[in-house]
Amino acid sequence: MRPLRSLLACLFAAGVSALSTSGNRLLVIMDDVSEKESYSQFLGDLESLSYLPCRGFQLSFESPKSESLSLFHLGERTYDHLLFFPTKTKGLGPNLTPNLLVDFVNAKGNILVTLSSGTTAPTSLISLLNELDIQLPADRTGLVVDHFNYDASSSPDTHDVLVLPAPFPVRPDVKDFFSGADVSSPSEKVLAFPRGVGATLGNGPLLAPILRAPRTAYSYNPKEQKETVDDLFAAGEQLALVATFQARNSARVTLVGSAEMLQDKWFDAEVKTKEGKATKTFNREFAKRVSGWTFNEIGVLRVNWIEHRLDEPGAPNNVSNPKIYRVKNDVKYTISLSEYSWTAWQPFTLPPDSDEIQLEFSMLSPFHRLALAPDASLSSDTATAYSVRFKVPDRHGIFNFRVSYKRPFLSNVEEKNTVSVRHIGHDEWPRSWAISGAWPWMSGIGVTVVGWLAFCVIWMFSAPVGPKVEVGKKTQ
Amino acid sequence: MRLTHSVASALLLLCAGAAQAATSWGFDEGVIQVVPKKAGEVIKERTPLAKPVTLGATDTLKLSLTAKDNGIGKRPHQAFLLLQESNLGVEAPFPLTVKESGKATVQITQKDLPVQLLAAEEPLKASIVLASFGSAQGYNGQVFEIKVELDPNLPPPTREAPVRYGKKPLIFHKFNPDPKSPPKVVSIFFALAVIACLPVLLISWLFLGANIKHLPKALSAAPVSHAVFFGSIVAMEGVFFMYYTSWNLFQTLPVIAAVAVVTVLSGTKALGEVQSRRLAGDRY
Repeated sequence: MRPLRSLLACLFAAGVSALSTSGNRLLVIMDDVSEKESYSQFLGDLESLSYLPCRGFQLSFESPKSESLSLFHLGERTYDHLLFFPTKTKGLGPNLTPNLLVDFVNAKGNILVTLSSGTTAPTSLISLLNELDIQLPADRTGLVVDHFNYDASSSPDTHDVLVLPAPFPVRPDVKDFFSGADVSSPSEKVLAFPRGVGATLGNGPLLAPILRAPRTAYSYNPKEQKETVDDLFAAGEQLALVATFQARNSARVTLVGSAEMLQDKWFDAEVKTKEGKATKTFNREFAKRVSGWTFNEIGVLRVNWIEHRLDEPGAPNNVSNPKIYRVKNDVKYTISLSEYSWTAWQPFTLPPDSDEIQLEFSMLSPFHRLALAPDASLSSDTATAYSVRFKVPDRHGIFNFRVSYKRPFLSNVEEKNTVSVRHIGHDEWPRSWAISGAWPWMSGIGVTVVGWLAFCVIWMFSAPVGPKVEVGKKTQ
Repeated sequence: MRLTHSVASALLLLCAGAAQAATSWGFDEGVIQVVPKKAGEVIKERTPLAKPVTLGATDTLKLSLTAKDNGIGKRPHQAFLLLQESNLGVEAPFPLTVKESGKATVQITQKDLPVQLLAAEEPLKASIVLASFGSAQGYNGQVFEIKVELDPNLPPPTREAPVRYGKKPLIFHKFNPDPKSPPKVVSIFFALAVIACLPVLLISWLFLGANIKHLPKALSAAPVSHAVFFGSIVAMEGVFFMYYTSWNLFQTLPVIAAVAVVTVLSGTKALGEVQSRRLAGDRY
């Protein structure tokens, strides 16, 4: 029942709008439309509406030489996503200059670049990747081989079809999108990476490799380094085979080193490891996940609402997001987050025990940085609410509630709500009779008052003692 | 072309099937030398060196070996020396220069090492990888360890951790301490001491002869003004009390003004009566 219902829902959704969170217009760049035969399953998966998860992209095919090709029309993107297959041309023409591609990324467009060691990468793409701090081998071509992990059935001699386990996240606090491991099939999946190019990544936090080469793999130039590798580009885990870049505006650029791994013949092909064990490849599912991530179908976060309120006894219940707080007020902050997963928004959950969403309460620099905890009472089927209670610092000024949740493979969450924090009013302090240290001073005032009244009475009504003295004569 | 290629690969596959178990890469005549010290150490394929090789700041480590495919000297496509830092797992490859005969050499100084390896606390693990195309089994073995001895006169290399998105350390604001009162006993003691001054004052006034003997005389002379004057003084204290407990300044000021007018008007009369007593010689 449930799959049927979601299938109906997705058919309906595809009729109305895109299933990706950022549109379904996908431009595929390839030399010749006839090439798409070899990628028919991959492209068919992108277009499919018939089986789950239906993805429903509208594919347009263009050759880089095409005159009519244009990424922008009147300043708006004409496509939501770009997919580059290897092309034989040296550049990509005036319509796909690196500048235009960077503009496309700045306009929140996503790009999936595939390379192949057989064809030299176009200069336009090399420049774009350089801009993102992804370096390719010097003369725009390279071949990754591994003499220890290769497919014994298809490349017993050339060792250029790498057989790799599907990648698990390097860090425990990174969500697992690509390994395909779950409870129902815990066994390790195997990827074939045929005749691909490896890249090295810069040190920035925006770059994240999905698939790295094994320890013994290396990249060489098949034209010049046939006999021996004297000048090494990169080897081992420095080589990224599938790498991602997510810009600050959450636009995504993915580099797949081997376009061939997306071809029909490697989807569900059987590969043989050194030990002679034949295994079905995981390529089809991996291609679906990599393209789905790039085109904003997974790993997209949405902030549904944010609420902060006074959390003190007697505080009004119906006032949320006030503009002003007082120092040392107790405050509760809640943020509701959803994560998009293929066809629907789902509650966002953190990797267990290793990651946390943090709230900063900051004026110039954070005064508090606190971990938010899931709040079941405010969560729903499509959203998780995370909240924290805390005491406003004893400094007055303009403060921000700031949630900056940026993680590899998840779109960036950057939320800032500004409030004033005032000092304690003169009539909000405890009264002096409540302060025991003030009691001697208060009794001093009482004594002064009573003494003054007694003095007035005595001064006005006291009769002199002793003998009566003549007025106007001073006693000598 | 494709046909010949596939035929060739099929043939190779057949050959491979036959020879796979037999051929494998290895090396011979492996020697490590740290240059100024001149003491070369022989390394073997299967037995790693017991002691780590020390690489000083000005030393050059020379590794030479002869790569062999099944005992015959041959040039492998991949001949790397991999240095691994055991803590982070950072690995740096150093390709060996190989001749046709399989003779391979590499020289390493501290300048060639990346910072992560220089800053390593434990000896670096050195593996030799010899492998090539075809069916021959590659060789990958950890054969020795390198201990990097830094120049003590230079500041040690520092490795800056790259920026990675992740959770940050928590911060909890340190509040200023609340104002504190002394123990209540002390406050009560001093409050009582202050209050005790009042009876002392009144009693000492009595000893000095203070009295209210003129009260009937004053009241009979100017009853209303004396009553109102004294009442206004008491009322003024009452206004101050109200200001202390609940009123604000703008409630207090008009009342003070009203009471003050009463005080002035009744005071002229009442104090005039006091003056008349003085003039009559009843008081000083």
